[in-house]
Amino acid sequence: MKQEFEPFIIGFLCNWCAYAGGDLAGVSRLQYPANMRAIRVMCSGMVSPDMVSDALLQGADGVLVMG
Amino acid sequence: MITFRVGDLAGILGVHRNTVTNWIRSRALPAQPGVGKKYFIEEEAIRAFLSGKNLPEEAVEAFLNQAVLTMNRNLPAPSGQGKDRGMEKTTPTGSVLVVGGGIAGIQATLDLAESGYRVHLVEKSAGIGGRMAQLDKTFPTNDCAM
Amino acid sequence: MTLSQVVSVAGNAGNYTVKVRRSPRYVDMDKCIACGLCAEKCPRPVADEFNEGVNNRKAIYIKYGQSVPLKYAIDPNACIYLTRGKCRACEKFCPTGAINFEDKAEIVELKVGAVVLAPGYQPYDPSGEDYYGYDSIADVVTSLEYERLLSASGPCMGHLMRPSDNREPKRIAWLQCVGSRNTNRCSNGYCSSVCCMYAVKQALVTAEHTHGDELSQTIFFMDLRSHGKEFERYYEDAKAKGVRFIRARPHTIDPLRGGSGVRMRYTTEDGRQMEEDFDLAVLSVGMEATQDNKALAGIFDFSLDSYGFAQTAASNPVRVNDGVFVAGALHAPKAIPHAVTEASAAANEAARLLSEAKGALAVEKTYPDERDVTQEEPRVGVFVCSCGINIAGVIDVNAVVEYAKGLDHVAFVENNLFTCSADTQVLIRQKAEEMNLNRIVVAACTPRTHEPLFQETLKEAGLNAYLVEMANIRNQNSWVHQKEPEKATEKAKDQVRMAVVKAVRNKALTRLKVDVNQKALVIGGGVAGMTSALSLAEQGFPVVLLEREDRLGGNASHVSATDFGDSVPPMLKDMIKKVEGHPDIAVHTNARLKTAVGSVGNFVSKFETHGETRAVTYGAAVIATGAKESIPDEYGFGSDPRIHTHLSFDKLMQAEVSTVQKADTVAFIQCVGSRDSRRPYCSRICCTHTMKAAVKLKTLNRAMQVVVFYRDIRTYGLREELYRKARELGVLFVRYSPDDKPQVRTTPEGVMVRGLDPISRFTLEIEADYLVLAAAVEPHGNEELVELYKCGANADGFLNEAHPKLRPVDMSVDGLFVAGLCNYPKPMDEAISQAQAAAARAAVVLSRKEMLLDAIKSYVTEHCDGCALCVDVCPYRAIRLQESTGEDGRMHRMVQVDPALCKGCGVCAATCPKDGVRVHGFTKEQIKAQVASALESLSGGRA
Repeated sequence: MKQEFEPFIIGFLCNWCAYAGGDLAGVSRLQYPANMRAIRVMCSGMVSPDMVSDALLQGADGVLVMG
Repeated sequence: MITFRVGDLAGILGVHRNTVTNWIRSRALPAQPGVGKKYFIEEEAIRAFLSGKNLPEEAVEAFLNQAVLTMNRNLPAPSGQGKDRGMEKTTPTGSVLVVGGGIAGIQATLDLAESGYRVHLVEKSAGIGGRMAQLDKTFPTNDCAM
Repeated sequence: MTLSQVVSVAGNAGNYTVKVRRSPRYVDMDKCIACGLCAEKCPRPVADEFNEGVNNRKAIYIKYGQSVPLKYAIDPNACIYLTRGKCRACEKFCPTGAINFEDKAEIVELKVGAVVLAPGYQPYDPSGEDYYGYDSIADVVTSLEYERLLSASGPCMGHLMRPSDNREPKRIAWLQCVGSRNTNRCSNGYCSSVCCMYAVKQALVTAEHTHGDELSQTIFFMDLRSHGKEFERYYEDAKAKGVRFIRARPHTIDPLRGGSGVRMRYTTEDGRQMEEDFDLAVLSVGMEATQDNKALAGIFDFSLDSYGFAQTAASNPVRVNDGVFVAGALHAPKAIPHAVTEASAAANEAARLLSEAKGALAVEKTYPDERDVTQEEPRVGVFVCSCGINIAGVIDVNAVVEYAKGLDHVAFVENNLFTCSADTQVLIRQKAEEMNLNRIVVAACTPRTHEPLFQETLKEAGLNAYLVEMANIRNQNSWVHQKEPEKATEKAKDQVRMAVVKAVRNKALTRLKVDVNQKALVIGGGVAGMTSALSLAEQGFPVVLLEREDRLGGNASHVSATDFGDSVPPMLKDMIKKVEGHPDIAVHTNARLKTAVGSVGNFVSKFETHGETRAVTYGAAVIATGAKESIPDEYGFGSDPRIHTHLSFDKLMQAEVSTVQKADTVAFIQCVGSRDSRRPYCSRICCTHTMKAAVKLKTLNRAMQVVVFYRDIRTYGLREELYRKARELGVLFVRYSPDDKPQVRTTPEGVMVRGLDPISRFTLEIEADYLVLAAAVEPHGNEELVELYKCGANADGFLNEAHPKLRPVDMSVDGLFVAGLCNYPKPMDEAISQAQAAAARAAVVLSRKEMLLDAIKSYVTEHCDGCALCVDVCPYRAIRLQESTGEDGRMHRMVQVDPALCKGCGVCAATCPKDGVRVHGFTKEQIKAQVASALESLSGGRA
C-alpha cells in the first residue's frame, strides 16, 4: 500500500518574530499540519548554511528559516 | 547614619576622590552607596575611621556637621538612632499610587518601579490594558496595538 | 490591584494614606489558571464591553485574550448565582477549585508618597442624537465598535462584517467630529485631536481586511487634522490610495429600505445638495472626560475645567496638586504617544518629590549560592505539563512521560497538572535537590512568556538560570494540532527529546554586569533641555548641560505666553536661575558636541566650548536641540518691512503695540513652507500661534479687520477654544488650496493679498497693513548628532524615537532620550512634559549602579584567527579586531566582542568559517544536536 508523501520539515524560528508568530498561532488556535519540528534561534541570521545542509543530509525533506 | 559626598571627604583628607571610592569598595570605609555619589555611614564608624587619620578636631567636626546637615534629606529609611540634630523633617514614603491601568498608568508604573520605587497600580476593571488594548492597529505605522 | 477604586486619601505630599476599595472577584487569583472551562459552562451571556457590546461574553469572564492578569472574574451584576442565588456551574467545573463565592469587598490601606492619576477617557456616546441614527440604524457604528469589527482578536476575527446582515461592507463612510467641536448638540467645544487620524487609519486598514477592489472609503470632515509626526504623509498616502475626503458635515442619515445600509445627505462647500448611499457609516466619536474625573478631583483636591478635564499649569503640565500628578486623557484629549510621554513625565515628578526615599521600599530578592555543575554528568529532570486540559486534552501526556524516561541523561520525569503553579515550583526545587538534578526541561507552553519563571525557580534551587530548557508543547503543538492527537503526541516526544539534547549541552551562564556612570549629559539649553537637566539634578544625578548659543532659553525667549495664556518670561527666568544655580548642573554655553563613544551606562564625549575642548563621561543623554522658524521664500517675504513671520510680528507687537493696534487690517497666511513638497509635514504650532495673535489683535482693537488664509485649521485638543474665540471676535477665515495660493503684491498703501473664497466663489483682495506668514518650523541640523551617536532622524531631519507610540522619548540607541522640538514641532507644554519624560526614562538607566546584561551574547573561541569577516556583518557594531604582539614577537589578530553592544543575534557565528565565535546558549553544537535529534524519529518513524 502506498502512503501519501508526508514531508518532514526542520524549522529555524527567530525568537523575536517567527517563534512569537508560532506562539500567536497557538493562542489563535490556528490549525496546521504537525510536520515541522521547530528550533528556536535568537535570530534567523544565526542559521549557518551548514546547519541547513546538515538537516537535509540527515533526511529532512525541507528546511524553513523564518525570521 | 549620616550622609556624605566622596568629594567632601577627599577634600578634608587631602586625597583623590578615587582613593575614597576605593576605600569604600574595599570596605576599609564601611559606607553604603546612595544616590548621586552620596554615601551613608554610621556616625561612629566614620568617627573611628577619621580618628586614625591624624586630622585636626575642627576639620572632622566641620565635615561631620556639614555632612549631617544633609542627613534627613538623603536617608533611605527613617533614622531611629543617631542624635537629634534639631533638623526634624519627615522622610517621604518611597512608594507611589498609580490610578488607572491603561497605557499611561502602565508606563508610569514601569518607570517608577524601574527607578527604585514601590508602586501600587489600582485598576477599576478586571484587567489592565485600557483603551489601547481595544484598538486593532495604530497610526501612522499601522503597527499592531496589542 | 484590579477591580479596585480609590475611596479616600489623607496626609500630605510625600506621605499619603490612601484607602482603596477592592471589589470581590469571586475567583482565587492564585488558583485560576485561565483554562476557560468556567466561561464555557457559564449559562449567562452578557454584552461584552471590551468589544463595545458587538458580541457577548459570559458572566464569568476575562476582559480579553491577552488580559493581564490572565485570571477570570465574575461579574456580580450578571452572575445568576449572585443575583438569584442559584447555579454555581463554574464552581462545579473549575478544575482547580478557584471559584470563591464567599469573596468579599475589602478596603485596603496604602501608604504612598505620591499619586499618579491616569483614568483615561470615555468615548462620546452618540445615542440620543437622532440625526446620526445611531440608535435606530443597524449599520451606523461608532469608531470604537468599528475598531473591534476590524480587529483580528475581535468578534469577526478580522473578517469585516456589518451588523445588519453580516455581509462585508464595500462603501464605507466616516463622519468626523461626532461629539467634538460641537457646542450645539453636545457641549464638547474642544477637538478630540485623534479622530482624524484614526479615521484615516481605519480607512486604510479596511482595505487590508476586505476582498475585491470595489471598496470605497469616504471621510466627511471639517478640517483634516494630521498634526503629528509623519501624520501628514499618512494622510497624503491615504489620498493617493483612493480614500475620498469630503469637506462637509452630513446633516441627515436615513436607513435604506431592507434594513441594511444608510443614505446620507450633505451639502458640499460650493453649496450643492448631495445624496449618497453607503453600506456602513462609522461615527468618529470623540473623547470625553470619564465619570471618575469628578470623584478623583474631589478626593485629591484639584480643579476641573468646564469639560471635566483636570487643569494644569504650562510650567508643569502633569501636576495638579502637591504630590498628585496626572497623565493621559485626564487633562485633555490626546493620542497614545502623548499619553505615554505624560506618564513618564508624571513618574518623573513623583520621583523628584520622593528622591530621598528612593529604593527604601524597593524589594530585592536573594538567592542561594549557585552550584557548580561543570564537573557533573548531566542529570536531567523533565516536567511535563498538562495545562489542565490545554495540553492533556490533545496530547497523551503519560505516553510523553514514559518516553522521556527512556532518554539519555534523563534522571527524573513527572507530569504536573500545571507546571507553572506555585506549588510545582516548590516541587521542582525539592526534586532538583533530592535527585541531584542539574538540568531541567519543562515541556509546557512557550519560553517567551514562561522561561523567566522557571529560570527563577532554578536560581532558587541553587542552579544556574540557563540550565533550563523548554519544550513548547502547547502553543506550538496541542493548540495547533487539536484534531491530530496522535501526531501531536509524536511531535511532543520529539520536542521533549530535542529539548533534552539541548539542555544536556547547556552551560551555566552569567549575566555580565557593567558599572553605570550615574551622570547625565543634556544637549540643548532650551526649555526642554533645562527641564530635563533640573529633573535629573534634583533626583541626585549630576548633569552636564551643553548649549549651542551663548545663553540659555532657546525659542522660549521669543514667546510671551503659552497657548493657554500662562506668561512665559517669568517662568523662563526662574528656570534659568534654577539651572544656573544648581550645584549638580554644569552649564557650558557656545558648546558643540564633537565625539561620542561607548554605550548605555558608559558614554564618553568630547565637546568644544568657547574654543576649548573638554571631555565628559555619562551614563545617559537627553537630546533637546530644538528647532527654528524657517525663513519664507514666498509671498514677498524680505521685500517689504510690512511682511512678517510669527516671531518678528510678535516682537513688533511687544515693541510697538501702539502702532500695531492702529492698523486697519492684518492678514495671516498659514502653512508657509509646511505641508508642501519640500517640507511635507505639518508644523503643528502655527495655527494656534495665529489664533493667539489674532485674538490679541482683536482685543487691542475690536474694529481691526483680521483675515486668516488657511488650508485646515489645526487647533487640536483644547486649543480649539482659541479658534472659537477668534471666530467669535470676528476674525475672518478664508480657505485656500495649495494649487491656488493667495497672491501677494505690495503697494505704498498696503500689502495686497488676493485669494479665492471657496464658499462664495468670489475673489477677494484685501489691503493689509501687516501680513504675517506662519512660517514652517524646521530642525537645526541634526546630521552631526545622528552621525556621532548612530541614532535616527526622519526624512525631514527630526530626531526619531524608538517607537512612535510606545517609546516616544527613548531613541533607537539605548541610553539616549529625546525631548522637545528636535523630535517634532510642538507647543511648550508638550515640550516640557516630553522633557520630564526623557528625564524619567534616563533616571531608569541612571538609578542602577550596575546593569545586568542578558547572558545570550557571542563569545570568541581559540579558533579565531582574526580574519574579521564577522566585524563587517555585525549589525550592532559590537565586534572589533584586536591586534597584539605575542611572546614570540609575532602579530596576533583576534576579534573582540563588546558585550554591552552585542544582542546575541549570532550573525557572526553563522558567518565565521572556523568556529571562532559562538553565541552562549545557542552554539552551533547545540543547534546541530537539536537538528540531529529532530531527525532521529525519521529512521524509525517513517520508512
